[in-house]
Amino acid sequence: MSQPTNQPKWTALLAKHETVLLAVILVEILLFQNLGRNFLAESNVSNIFRHSVEIGLLALVMTPVILTGGIDLSLGSMMGLCAVVFGLLVKQYDVSPWLAAVAAISLGAFGGMGNAFLITRMNLPPLIVTLGTFSLFRGLAEALTKGSEAYSGFPQGFLNLGNANVLGLPAQLWVFFLVTLLVWLLVHRTVWGRSLQAIGFAPQGARYAGISVERNTGMAYILAGAIAGLAAVILVARLGEARANVGIGYELLAITAVVLGGTSIFGGSGSISGTLLGYVAIAILNNGLSRITAHQIFDQPVSSVARELSGMLTGLLLLLALAAGVLLKSLATRRARRQSLVTTTNPTPST
Amino acid sequence: MSDVEKLLELSEIKKSFGAVRALKGVSFELKAGEVHALLGENGAGKSTLIKVITGAHAPDSGTLTVAGQAVAALTPSKAQEWGIACIYQQPALFPDLSVSENIGLRLKKSAAFAKVDWGKQREVAAKLLERIGAEISPDAEVASLSMPEQQLVEIACALGSGARIVIMDEPTASLTQKEQHLLYAVVRDLRDSGVGVVYISHRLEEIFALADRVTVLRDGESVGTHPVGSLTEAQMIQLMVGREVSAIYPPAESAPGDVVLEMQSVSCAASGIADVSLTVRAGEILGMAGLVGAGRTELARILFGITPASSGSIRLEGKTISIGNPQDAIAQGIAYVPEDRRKHGVILDLPIAHNITMAIHRRIFPQHFLLKQAEQNLAVEMIRDLGIKAFGPEAPGGSLSGGNQQKVSVARWLATKPRLLILDEPTQGVDVGAKSEIHKIIRRLAKDGLAVLMISSDLPEVLGMSDRVAVMRGGRLVAMVDGKKAEAASIMAAALGHSHSDSEKGQEGTR
Repeated sequence: MSQPTNQPKWTALLAKHETVLLAVILVEILLFQNLGRNFLAESNVSNIFRHSVEIGLLALVMTPVILTGGIDLSLGSMMGLCAVVFGLLVKQYDVSPWLAAVAAISLGAFGGMGNAFLITRMNLPPLIVTLGTFSLFRGLAEALTKGSEAYSGFPQGFLNLGNANVLGLPAQLWVFFLVTLLVWLLVHRTVWGRSLQAIGFAPQGARYAGISVERNTGMAYILAGAIAGLAAVILVARLGEARANVGIGYELLAITAVVLGGTSIFGGSGSISGTLLGYVAIAILNNGLSRITAHQIFDQPVSSVARELSGMLTGLLLLLALAAGVLLKSLATRRARRQSLVTTTNPTPST
Repeated sequence: MSDVEKLLELSEIKKSFGAVRALKGVSFELKAGEVHALLGENGAGKSTLIKVITGAHAPDSGTLTVAGQAVAALTPSKAQEWGIACIYQQPALFPDLSVSENIGLRLKKSAAFAKVDWGKQREVAAKLLERIGAEISPDAEVASLSMPEQQLVEIACALGSGARIVIMDEPTASLTQKEQHLLYAVVRDLRDSGVGVVYISHRLEEIFALADRVTVLRDGESVGTHPVGSLTEAQMIQLMVGREVSAIYPPAESAPGDVVLEMQSVSCAASGIADVSLTVRAGEILGMAGLVGAGRTELARILFGITPASSGSIRLEGKTISIGNPQDAIAQGIAYVPEDRRKHGVILDLPIAHNITMAIHRRIFPQHFLLKQAEQNLAVEMIRDLGIKAFGPEAPGGSLSGGNQQKVSVARWLATKPRLLILDEPTQGVDVGAKSEIHKIIRRLAKDGLAVLMISSDLPEVLGMSDRVAVMRGGRLVAMVDGKKAEAASIMAAALGHSHSDSEKGQEGTR
């Protein structure tokens, strides 16, 4: 407890983590600009985000969940279920796509409520609960489509959400901006976000301060489910079809983005800005790798291995960023110690 | 005692952590067969000094002599070889292993895959436990033992490793009076067998009862070593704080007003509280005495809605209320400063300001959006009002000393503007200076018309602060005494239950 000035150092540390991520993103851009084909072309930059915005959405709402010290593995499966129900409503029951979108988002919230109930009222561990619903939601989606059916042929107006540009940017990016603003406000500017932090650091401590651990934690899972429903709708609009197998593995990429962004997996500390940077770093990596088809590595065409390579490099990126974070932290404390040795004029009261 | 062997001698020990000079030149000696108390406020350097003796910290300068030999670089394992053992406030045992396994693990350093001789291990453990007079089965799982029993196991470990220097860091902080006396007997036995005991405690009466000599630390310096008999309590406190402490307990200044809390035959099956009826008036401090486990904290938890009552009625200012969770309690104007400050009282990772507003989120942030300026203002005001020593409202709770953390916990509840304030062991593990400040704060609050229910295992505190004293035993209220007439002996007798006390009630069904 011998940190002389705490608040500035904390922000400095956070800033440092985010600086690391910015540096990583910059390196990625330089690398792919040299290796890849038309990487920085306007159309490709649009593509990077058009093709990954769903992961960004999941990462945003995964952040409050992880802040409480929890996790939600069911979000990718939730997307599959919401996508199928959306397709079913529009194609089988002639519901307008926009109304069906509202239904999909509500279904997501409802599924999140199920997670929340099991976690906060039945006191089951989030990892186990969402591992269960991870299988359950996907299984329901497959049952509804009998395993193979896909819904397509949606009206063009709806498909524009996934493919058109609005004011020069992909339409879904505007939705993403709105959700980012919403989640940022919720996490960093409201009593709810503050409560999540307290719960993440010390659930019993929060309870003794009169914070409703159940309600606040539950809200995080409900929000996550609802936005997973929204992500499903956007994905269907981009792909033009609704299948049971959409969004597989998205929850893991979202968790990677959140942790890469400096949010503690144990809960308590974290930020939406970090999550955004983590998401961008992953999105660029995946897109960039698919662009280096023109080049050859070890005399092998890369295109065939881009997928495998991207998985490997995403993992490496996460581990390296975490290691760099730990390294920077220890450097910072060492420097702080050295500085405080130099300036011994202002001794601290507590030991 | 002049030619008794000196087990340990430290001279001019200095140790700094960055800018903080924890030890500025401490000298200390320990003779064989003595109990040497180490006294000082929190932050005076006691913990650092212990860590130097146990080899956890290397001193920057100064000399350390063990059994007449100068020791240059002491490490924890070397300290163990030299016969130095330390028993901490919180026993560091493996809860899922048996007593004999724990003792066996501590005693011998065997190869990783060596065969364990279970029979011999058990025998050794049994012998050690017998030697200190502990009635503990070597086969008992440590998790099933009470705190004092675990401490006895620690002592057995220390003895078994052949320790000649035993350091005890506030060993009685979580013990009941009876258990304390058991421990005292063990300490005296150790002393009589030639072991030197370094004894750290905040309780002065304990030092008088047990220690031969006392060394007082203040601000990282040793300000003197004295035979215990040559000092009065007031002199000791003065040595510790370096200033005159006029009266230890501030006098009562107010006459109790209207009844604020009225409990009628309140029971809670889950937490073992049965048929408790009591009242607390505005401006009154109701002290609550009893042994650890008598149900005092459980009663507080009922009032705060953590374990709601199963029967009986609770009235607040004449209105019957039901308290199903802490939010209900807060809404009704009930505040609870919990016993476990680090786990429940303050969130150590969060800034002071966040901690202070935590129970009034709805009131201070009515639109659900954080208002940083309002929060800062409140925190600054509380820091000033309660004299919290901190770098500022943004300093994390964990950076404060125990006493200041406790003040933050109190500040959080004052911010709720409560009608009833429940304090659970408000000064446990708090240094003498902060303790008297907290007492003054409690008095001031009572004077301002707050009803105060103060749970405390510190009998002098209960006697010094309370307008009335309630005594609990086995989940029941067994005595209610006027504060002015209360005597330590009769309260203790009621708490223990084998008493001549005629104010006792509800004997039947006491478990």
